[in-house]
Amino acid sequence: MEIIELHQVTKTFGPVKAVQNLDLKVPAGTIYGFIGPNGSGKTTTIRMIMNILFPDSGNIYIHGKQHANARLEHVGYLPEERGLYKKMKVFDVLKFHGDLKNTKNLRSEIKYWLKKLDLYDRIDKKVETLSKGMTQKLQFIATVIDRPEIIILDEPFSGLDPVNAEILKSSLLELQKNGATIIFSTHDMNMAEKMCDYIFMIYNGQKVLDGTLQSIQNNYGNDTVRLQTESGIDALAGIKGIEKINDYGQVQELRLAPGAETQSILAGAMKKTRILKFEVTRPSLNDIFIRIAAPERKEESHA
Amino acid sequence: MRKTLIIALREYKAAVRTKSFIVSLVLMPVLMGGSTAVSVISQSKKDTSDKKFVVIDHSGLFSQVLHQHVKLRNDSAIFNPETREKIRPAYFVEFADPDTADPGKQKLGLSERIAAKDLYGFFEIGPSVLHPEKDPDNAYIRFYSENAFLDETRGWFANTVNNHLRQLRVAELNLTPESTKELFTWTNIEGLGLLKVDENTGSIRDAEKSNVVQSILIPYILVMLMFMMAIMGVTPLLTAVMEEKMERIAEVLLATVTPFQFMTGKILGSLSVSLTTAAIYILGGIITMQQLGAGDKIPYHLLPWFFIYLVFFLIMAGSIMAAFGSACNDNKDAQNVSFPAMLPMIMPLFVVWPVIQNPMSSFATWLSLFPPFTPMLMIVRMASPVSIPVWQPITGLIGIIVFTVLSVWAGARIFRTGILMQGQKPTLANLVKYVLKG
Repeated sequence: MEIIELHQVTKTFGPVKAVQNLDLKVPAGTIYGFIGPNGSGKTTTIRMIMNILFPDSGNIYIHGKQHANARLEHVGYLPEERGLYKKMKVFDVLKFHGDLKNTKNLRSEIKYWLKKLDLYDRIDKKVETLSKGMTQKLQFIATVIDRPEIIILDEPFSGLDPVNAEILKSSLLELQKNGATIIFSTHDMNMAEKMCDYIFMIYNGQKVLDGTLQSIQNNYGNDTVRLQTESGIDALAGIKGIEKINDYGQVQELRLAPGAETQSILAGAMKKTRILKFEVTRPSLNDIFIRIAAPERKEESHA
Repeated sequence: MRKTLIIALREYKAAVRTKSFIVSLVLMPVLMGGSTAVSVISQSKKDTSDKKFVVIDHSGLFSQVLHQHVKLRNDSAIFNPETREKIRPAYFVEFADPDTADPGKQKLGLSERIAAKDLYGFFEIGPSVLHPEKDPDNAYIRFYSENAFLDETRGWFANTVNNHLRQLRVAELNLTPESTKELFTWTNIEGLGLLKVDENTGSIRDAEKSNVVQSILIPYILVMLMFMMAIMGVTPLLTAVMEEKMERIAEVLLATVTPFQFMTGKILGSLSVSLTTAAIYILGGIITMQQLGAGDKIPYHLLPWFFIYLVFFLIMAGSIMAAFGSACNDNKDAQNVSFPAMLPMIMPLFVVWPVIQNPMSSFATWLSLFPPFTPMLMIVRMASPVSIPVWQPITGLIGIIVFTVLSVWAGARIFRTGILMQGQKPTLANLVKYVLKG
């Protein structure tokens, strides 16, 4: 069952079409990743779901009910840019947000989340004394303090170190396990691949990808080879059948030209150097993103 | 409503728990009381150093009388009779024969003596001062000193000389001083209110004396208190809303509350701050006046009206401030719009004095019924000794309620758009567009 549904939603800002005829269905209990380049329409879509912006046309349904002009209850929202009262103490901030959301067992929830996100020792400190990462975690707690049914996070991992990113990830998975539906936008393709049940990509205001990672990758087929050689990228010069090479230094990711044979590419490479690793795979989300978002960029091609 | 109150409570706590609130709460009466005290002290600490002046008397009439009056004054008026403390300067007068050949040189010489602190000033009495009608050009009395305009020596000299001139003129008419005793008696007019019927006894109640406290001080204090409450409680809303917009606090909150709840919560918070301050000051004022034995001057009947008008005045001003703040993007924007946003609060102050002088004039009446002016001007009129018709405060109240509702409605429409709009300047055209299109 879809908990959020967008039907032919369009939003324009002056001459700019931020979102065009967008259809989207978010099943309950899933993690839905929103990806797309900067300015593609992710935040606008999220703000429309949150009823902060109103669509010019189209409808948005939450729990099957149209929600225009109604404030969303039990929806947690973490905006892209964090905003907390800097002079307030950590406890007071969470109490304020918890009271606004009519949170049950507020004090125990505050204690639980502060401990879980390793902020309990800061409970009496003012927000202005916290680091950027701590502030971000505090804002996250304020978002989920009432354990909402729907959690919408705009770039939740940006600016977090790997340890804090891991804490945030485990918190999200816990919330999902307890029944929450989570939507988050991200530029971290690796995180999106690993965490999301569904991935939605918006580009120039239009939906270009929507589905499970597997279904998206299936559309692109096994056209990717990950290769590690003793000579690096130099060994791949002149080999026929390679459409594009993404050089990561130690590893090269090859996109095959239509009809190209992996065996002939392997043979061509073996003639030039010693092969350490050769893996035929589907394209990564990162590669798919780049194929869509930067098709005009002429990367090094050996086709 | 619950969410609005939570926001209002946060605003209230954030304001009253700051040191600046406590400091301004204490500082304002201290400054006002301090300035009064300084004024009183400075009056008691007059310059009592002796003053010597020269008189160039072209008329030749005043040598004897001035010497007499100076002596009389120095003997009887410069010391406090009880404490013997010197409270006024002693005067010493010196007469100089007029230099008819070169009067400029004579006066320059005296001016140099004044600059050298040898003299305090010099007077020049014209030759025709006794009969000015015949020769008005020469019927002058001039005083030269470093601060001639604000000098009280001038007033003493003018009284002494003119009294003597009157006596000389009376003598010329062959009248005795006894027969002319009442000729120059000046009778002051006593200001009274209107007579009323006592509601309890049915008897006629004497009119009360008008006094400066009732006629000017109380109306003025109430208006200034209303203005200060707006300045303290409501004007900070402009920058506070702008900062919350720029720091994205607004966007976080708007996921949980509507823009209207957000705005009204902030206004209610500011209103509570102002009412707290006003209550503290009024209570303090009542206690102080009672301690000073002036408890009967306190207009208790006005206090409910004052607070009712204050509430609507602050809500009206607050919605304007919040709306303007939501349309700003930085401090420069906030500075640019702060004056137009404050106009509804400032404009009534420009006309307070004519309304205090004549509270029943049609100018005062109609202006006090015009909503942005109503709270301040109606209170001024009600606080004055005159009785204004009962329908006027009620009509004014209805007007200000309607105007406040309109302000909040328009403010909310601006706020709803402005609070999430980035990069748009708060021009009049944009604000009108936000109001019309929402």
